[in-house]
Amino acid sequence: MRDVAVVSFAQSPCEAANRRDDMAGILLPVIREALGAVGVDRDDVDFFASGSHDFFEGRTFAYIESLDAVGAWPPVSESHVEMDAAWAFAEAWSWLQLGEGDIALVYGIGRGSLAADLDQVLPAQLDPYFLAPLRPHRDALAGLQAAAMIDAGLTSERDLAEIVVRSLSAATGNPYAQKSGHLGVDQVLDAPYVSTPLREHDVAPVGDAAAVVVLAAGDAARRLGDRQAWVRGLDHRMDTHYPGVRNLTRSESTRVAAARAAELAGFGASEVDIAELHTEYSHAEPLLASALGLERTVVNPSGGPLAGRPVTATGLVRIGEAARRILDGRAGRALAHATNGPALQHNLVCLMSGEAAA
Amino acid sequence: MREPASEPSVLREPASEPSVLREPASEPSAPTLPEPLTTMASPFRMDYTYVAGTGRSVFLRGLAEGRMLARRCPACAQVYLPPPEFCSRCLSRLDEPFELDGRGVISTFCVVSFPFPGQVHEPPYVVAHIQVEGSGTRLMHLVREVDPADVRIGMEVEPVWAGEDERENSLTSIRHYRPAGDEYA
Repeated sequence: MRDVAVVSFAQSPCEAANRRDDMAGILLPVIREALGAVGVDRDDVDFFASGSHDFFEGRTFAYIESLDAVGAWPPVSESHVEMDAAWAFAEAWSWLQLGEGDIALVYGIGRGSLAADLDQVLPAQLDPYFLAPLRPHRDALAGLQAAAMIDAGLTSERDLAEIVVRSLSAATGNPYAQKSGHLGVDQVLDAPYVSTPLREHDVAPVGDAAAVVVLAAGDAARRLGDRQAWVRGLDHRMDTHYPGVRNLTRSESTRVAAARAAELAGFGASEVDIAELHTEYSHAEPLLASALGLERTVVNPSGGPLAGRPVTATGLVRIGEAARRILDGRAGRALAHATNGPALQHNLVCLMSGEAAA
Repeated sequence: MREPASEPSVLREPASEPSVLREPASEPSAPTLPEPLTTMASPFRMDYTYVAGTGRSVFLRGLAEGRMLARRCPACAQVYLPPPEFCSRCLSRLDEPFELDGRGVISTFCVVSFPFPGQVHEPPYVVAHIQVEGSGTRLMHLVREVDPADVRIGMEVEPVWAGEDERENSLTSIRHYRPAGDEYA
């Protein structure tokens, strides 16, 4: 395998509703910051990869607008995934592994605020025959999962409230967070239910933001800075489409992806200093921690998605936040997780280290 | 010829109807498959907010005032009409907007003669790219008040604005373009 590292990360503040900027307007300052931090000119970028979803934009091929922030003239080599931008990161990493170039820029845009009502939109991601006609609430599948976990003794409403309190408290140190604060567990437990057993703060607040990660290979990565967050292992796996077939209290796709990533990395999820998990709901944390085998790891030091969920940028932010802690020397090894689909259907695990493979 | 109304029971049970449909199943090797579902209704309605951004907002607000506003890139001097906020070549923020009178020449066009659902204009009609004088990009609009057979690339055209009380933040504030040469005056 080729040594490939995250060398830079930037993001825009997650806003509940950005009515000022179009896609290019949100993205351009973030691209400038990410490239500027490592002195890379956009002409030096060999490949651009991005992730966003027309669901959230209400237009087909909506992401094309964002290319105005990349500068698609002269024509550039680029690709887009219609899903979380963490999968654009996976594509760029694979592209660099193929030796097609040395520097890739990955961006994610998530605008959860454009749909007037996400409950009009999100049923469209479900099976059109058995699930979509029922129009479950957007948080209903998560409620099924959380209730099954509590029933199985894997967590409790109080445990979930403690996760919320810790996450929002951590987010007070994150200037990009949409929501933060020092709440009490009882205060969180007093909030109304959204979809039982999930209450208001158990559900990640949807917002608008962009994130940019710069990846570089080998000597190019070493030339661009003193420290690199080397991507030592990456894998993603998908569970079956119909949630009724799955045991919702477990995430086999996360477990298998983590095992494969560990095989590539030479170290496992239990050996990282911090983990950034794509938890769209509080109950996802104990579920993922169990699937990954996390033990005394610090989880979501940024506050995680419970402090702001810019839809299709959320997973890429996890990779960036995990990498940032290696780049600034606060962590030696880090894990990032990203998810797509209802009730953690599709999961990506990325293991990074301040040290390249021996 | 059969009167459908005289055989209501047949209409209600299409599966039992024409023998032609059953023939393939009578082949010795063909399995008997259940009748597949062909249609089910699951209508979606989705409402969105569209965020025009600062660049487009400048142009669209100008149209509501009967003004065609262009902007120039300070780095490469490209003039955009309509202007975004940033130059898509240099990524520089474009300079302050300035007004153009909108006159220009047809750089390319086609005649739409095909009817389609949701069509707004009666075919045949002319859709054209107009090289507006003073702009480096081409503006798409309709060309009317001329027989489509007489439209030519290079023809001088001018905008026909909607009445002041009809103007909106939309390119429809320009009703269409029309020939501007003396022979059409």
